[in-house]
Amino acid sequence: MGKLAFFEQYREPLAGRSVKSDPLDQQLIDISAVAIHRDTAAFERLFRAFVPMIRAFNLKAYPGASLMADEVAQEVMIKVWEKAHTYRPEMAALTTWLFTLSRNARVDYLRRNGKHVSLIDPEPIWDQLEDDSADQFQKARQREFEKQVAEGLAKLPNDQRQVLSQVYLEGLTHQEVSEKFNIPLGTVKSRVRLALKSLSIVAKGSSI
Amino acid sequence: MIHSHPTLEQLTEFASGTLPLSVSLGLSGHLEYCPDCTAQVHKLQSVGASIMEQVTVPQSSDDDMSRLLAGIANRIDRSDESSAGNATVEVAAVTDININSSTSGYRLPKVLRQFVETDYNELNWVRLSPAFKIATLLKDTDGTQVALSRVKAGGAMPHHKHSGDEMTLVLEGSFSDESGVFTPGDFIMRDSRHKHHPIVTMDGECICLMVLDGPVQFTGTFTRWLNPLMRWQHSGI
Ligand SMILES: [Zn+2]
Repeated sequence: MGKLAFFEQYREPLAGRSVKSDPLDQQLIDISAVAIHRDTAAFERLFRAFVPMIRAFNLKAYPGASLMADEVAQEVMIKVWEKAHTYRPEMAALTTWLFTLSRNARVDYLRRNGKHVSLIDPEPIWDQLEDDSADQFQKARQREFEKQVAEGLAKLPNDQRQVLSQVYLEGLTHQEVSEKFNIPLGTVKSRVRLALKSLSIVAKGSSI
Repeated sequence: MIHSHPTLEQLTEFASGTLPLSVSLGLSGHLEYCPDCTAQVHKLQSVGASIMEQVTVPQSSDDDMSRLLAGIANRIDRSDESSAGNATVEVAAVTDININSSTSGYRLPKVLRQFVETDYNELNWVRLSPAFKIATLLKDTDGTQVALSRVKAGGAMPHHKHSGDEMTLVLEGSFSDESGVFTPGDFIMRDSRHKHHPIVTMDGECICLMVLDGPVQFTGTFTRWLNPLMRWQHSGI
């Protein structure tokens, strides 16, 4: 079977499924093509789709550090190539997987070059979260939850959304947010807590 | 049963990658015991993903993309060649887990396998009192010490206070102090104001992972002589 014939066969079910082609569907197909067939063309499409977002994610934390942003994005994409077979669409959205890879690559970059020099190997620290041990019920809830979060974020008061963005995008600890923006640490913590409560991450009235 | 969990703040910093790696190491160990906190971290990661998605992405030129892609092309090939080798390594690791749980009876958290190959007995334990031993896993570049403590059944850890934060993850056995009984999986963070005096329960030895921000000081007349030793431990001579 020629390569082209293989692709025709592969694409057929999608053509029957939806009229307009959804870029997310295409990305899921590309990920599995990378995982199963080591398809470099699919990888290149993912590369062109993901790299601008990963670069922007890092430039937000380290404005002007474009060499770092390039290197982190490249490291993330190498992981996409190496670990495509571990991605579980039923467990997490593709962007959640991409976020975790980007976070890990940033932590590793900073460990080797930057402010958090450490001899600890960060990879096993998050690896075990990818264990496929969650039951079906949990998986379904996690995917449902991801949809709620995206909608919930838009409705948060500005100060709460800002503090989440400082923690996740700018890579600041609660303490650093407090110092950088001259807000008491207690206020930073309570904004995070309130935001996570509205996103139903913390049950109302929970003590943690 | 686990009753001492990381705070929401610590889980959030873990999920966003800003918690120090040494503490993340212990928190990750806790997650191996705690499905609740694991679910929480998954949720916190999807918050991160939603926030990442909302970043305005500037237009990247095709040339830029091609240059960056070309930059990793050779690593893509190489990693592909070695992927068969990787699969073998994974199988080997799985076998390891079985050996671990069957021969020594210890439940060794996966995240500690970068320091402990097969079981705790292989480590270089330094006896600091008749009932208390310590094995240093790592003295990190920022001065943080990652160590295992090991106390005999019914034994006491010497009175001590610390100059920085102290994280404890119970791995084997259990101990109690002023604030309760702690069992495997319990994650405890204490700051420098804290002076505590843990006593190990009678039913067996207790092994804990400890992450120390600064040198530990033992207090009280009997244990004062330990201090130079602990400083020696900490300085890594
Ligand atoms: Zn927990």
